[in-house]
Amino acid sequence: MMSNFIFMNGYGIFVWSSFGLVLISGFILFLKTRKTLKKYEKEFLLELQTLPEAKKKHVLENSKIANKILVENSKTN
Amino acid sequence: MLTKKVKNRIIFLIVVIFIFIISIFFVLKSLNESILYFHTPTEINQKKNLSFDKKMRVGGMVKKKSILSDSKGVKFIITDLKNEIIVSYSGTVPNLFAEGKGVIAEGKLKDKKFFIADKILAKHDENYMPPELKTKSGN
Amino acid sequence: MFNFFSPTNIFLILSRIQKFINSIFFPILIVSLVFALILSPPDRIQGDAMRIMYVHVPSAWLGLACFSAITVLSILAFIFKIKNFFYINKSLAPIGLLFTFLAIVTGSLWGEPTWGTWWVWDARLTSMMFLMFFYISYILCFKFIKKEQLMLKVSSLIAILGAINLPIIKYSVDWWTTLHQPASIKLGVSNSIHSTMMLPLLSMLLVLVLYGALIFLMKYKTEIIRIKKKSIKRL
Repeated sequence: MMSNFIFMNGYGIFVWSSFGLVLISGFILFLKTRKTLKKYEKEFLLELQTLPEAKKKHVLENSKIANKILVENSKTN
Repeated sequence: MLTKKVKNRIIFLIVVIFIFIISIFFVLKSLNESILYFHTPTEINQKKNLSFDKKMRVGGMVKKKSILSDSKGVKFIITDLKNEIIVSYSGTVPNLFAEGKGVIAEGKLKDKKFFIADKILAKHDENYMPPELKTKSGN
Repeated sequence: MFNFFSPTNIFLILSRIQKFINSIFFPILIVSLVFALILSPPDRIQGDAMRIMYVHVPSAWLGLACFSAITVLSILAFIFKIKNFFYINKSLAPIGLLFTFLAIVTGSLWGEPTWGTWWVWDARLTSMMFLMFFYISYILCFKFIKKEQLMLKVSSLIAILGAINLPIIKYSVDWWTTLHQPASIKLGVSNSIHSTMMLPLLSMLLVLVLYGALIFLMKYKTEIIRIKKKSIKRL
């Protein structure tokens, strides 16, 4: 039963390698995308920190996105 | 609602797409012969200038009860239900090669009715069924 | 009219959708894999090799669907000059490329045990290869053309040219003789896949759609942050 599940009458290697390839390449693209996203969020925050205090306040009041990124990143850190 | 600029862009786009489609259509039309992956026995039967030393592919169904295999290889008949071609081949056939199923043979024509293949590909159909239904569907 | 499509508005909605997909993705993935690899029956002719269909067919569909979306958005963006659509396209293209690539490779892995060959130059396989090249040139155009106006024009041109390839892929199996079999699922006609195999196919499709949506959301967020970073000083 178990060995048949793996060998699949000789087709196993093709079936498993195609499913494996889909899962692995999907996972790699996911990691890569997440890494870029995190990198950009960090750079954005850095940019925000360098602004003068009054300006920073102004940005946070006017930009929902800046707010959101700040909140999300302070949660994870 | 649409400004003049927008209208101009729409017209430009339609013209461009139209030209693309027309040109691609003619390219495909002129390539038609080489895009065909295989020829049916009927097409070969009707063709005037057959080349016997160029590689080509013949496709169709393996005729029922036509497979003869011996130590040298296999011989079988490809049919499209109108015309037939005898194929001889030495080598291993794919798993799905069976009588009544689709097949493509690659090789050279000896004459209009005889084909020497150096490669056999099995063509499967678009029906997917569990094995229990095999008897119900009748083939 | 297109206020709803403003980056800020979309960004806030996206974060919520992303969280939702994250929470349901893994359960659905596991269930689909169990269905595809264990519970569904083997095919009467192809045996277990037919299980490759569960990843091959959805990948191919989504590869085509992504390119169709890119083309439609490119045309709208060109006519109405909505730049935001280009950012959506830029985020869609990598997923489309991945799915097209997976469709080709899994198709190859399916072809070897059933047809008896990894690759042939028949109309379906060749036109699918063209689709992959269109995706690659589309992505490269965003990467390497620095002048923005030129980049937008070239990318629209690639999208529209590539769109003509889409019906060729779809109908290649009907217009010419190919090694590839005709479509199993046609709208409006009773399809030729048994219901016990249809369920895993649809659930794998759902998994890949959710995955594609997840990647798209992350890519698109990255794009928006990049734009906002440029304009942060002007706020």
